[in-house]
Amino acid sequence: MAVCVNVFHKCLRLPSTLLKLRPVVHKLNATQITRTFCSTNALAARKYTEQHEWIDVQGKIGTVGVTDYAQGALGDVVFAQLPEPDSELNQMDDCGALESVKAASELYSPVSGTVVEKNKDVEETPALINQSPYEQGWLFKIQLSKPEELDALLDEAGYENHLKNTGH
Amino acid sequence: MKISVISQNFHRSVNVWSVGFLKYQTAYHIQQYLANLQSQRLNKEKTLDGTIIIVEHSPVYTTGIRTQGYSESEERRLKTLGAEFYRTNRGGLITFHGPGQLVVYPILDLKSFNKSMKCYICKLEKTVIEVCKSFGVEAERSLDTGVWVKDNKICAIGVHGSRYITTHGIALNINNDLSWFSHIVPCGIPDKGVTTLSQELRKPLTITDVIYPFLQSFSHEFECDMKMLSHEVRKDVVNHLKKENLTSDITEAQLLRNNDLKLK
Repeated sequence: MAVCVNVFHKCLRLPSTLLKLRPVVHKLNATQITRTFCSTNALAARKYTEQHEWIDVQGKIGTVGVTDYAQGALGDVVFAQLPEPDSELNQMDDCGALESVKAASELYSPVSGTVVEKNKDVEETPALINQSPYEQGWLFKIQLSKPEELDALLDEAGYENHLKNTGH
Repeated sequence: MKISVISQNFHRSVNVWSVGFLKYQTAYHIQQYLANLQSQRLNKEKTLDGTIIIVEHSPVYTTGIRTQGYSESEERRLKTLGAEFYRTNRGGLITFHGPGQLVVYPILDLKSFNKSMKCYICKLEKTVIEVCKSFGVEAERSLDTGVWVKDNKICAIGVHGSRYITTHGIALNINNDLSWFSHIVPCGIPDKGVTTLSQELRKPLTITDVIYPFLQSFSHEFECDMKMLSHEVRKDVVNHLKKENLTSDITEAQLLRNNDLKLK
């Protein structure tokens, strides 16, 4: 992928957490300066539920997973029961479960919509959820039917506060 | 003699309901009713921080959410032995419940306790280990969830969590017939065995001998007081079961009688 040098230097000043996220790549030409390379937009797009799911929306498709706090609280995940593609979900419907230490913990859909993909790698290797909860451990992708529902979810700061205020 | 309230002035309190001998499905409906009640936060007076259901089942095999490994022919085979078979939403693989086994379903609101499921399971294991210790049996945890006496499992654990409300629970072998386990690979662990408290002690114990020590240990480990579930809530549960055609007059009387857990 091509990177504008101006943008690269901007990235060096960003907090290190942002640098770990996937880049938004834009086509460059010689005369244009693009939007910021690093993932400010991806981070800004990620929302959270109080039940510790995250959703990262690109266009109309949201990628859903569970947070680092959740994977720690669960323990080693041994089985992921994920929603099937084409299932219709409403916001906060229980849509699957993660099993760890003989405990099955329900998963909730952060938004309404239609499931377009489930992560088969996670079904094969549930430990990905523990190892990489925001990247390879994503659980399913959903086409949003009501994007306005995202407004009701927590942003990064809101989620951190939620963890602090509720004694997690 | 009625059990007295276990009160050590902890800031948490749970109800206790010893329902006696019940079919798996009936007990499951009771769990669901109480879990729904627990999740309605307005009902804290009735529900406290949870309810512990104590039950003994007629013979039944159950699986958890990893149920695909148990085919319909496997299900039929086990039913021909004279047991029921249910696929449930708990964690853990196949196990057996039957007479002489103490089954406990804590319907807890983990928001009142430690919210981590890992921590909840660990506390359940510690509770059972303390109970075994009180009878002189050295039990321990291992990498496989449950409570073990060397290579033999004495207590199986499998739970479900939904919005921090727990269902299902533990099954501690007291004096149950272990031959039922020979027809399955218990909890999916092929090279280990099963045992009971009576077998380890080489003397007969019954469920009644173990209930109160269990509740004391639970109270200590989870730092909660205990009281008997109110007649009002039990009546509501019975009415709910009646609507679902899950109860007979005998069961109704059993569920509504005053708890007569014997003190040791």
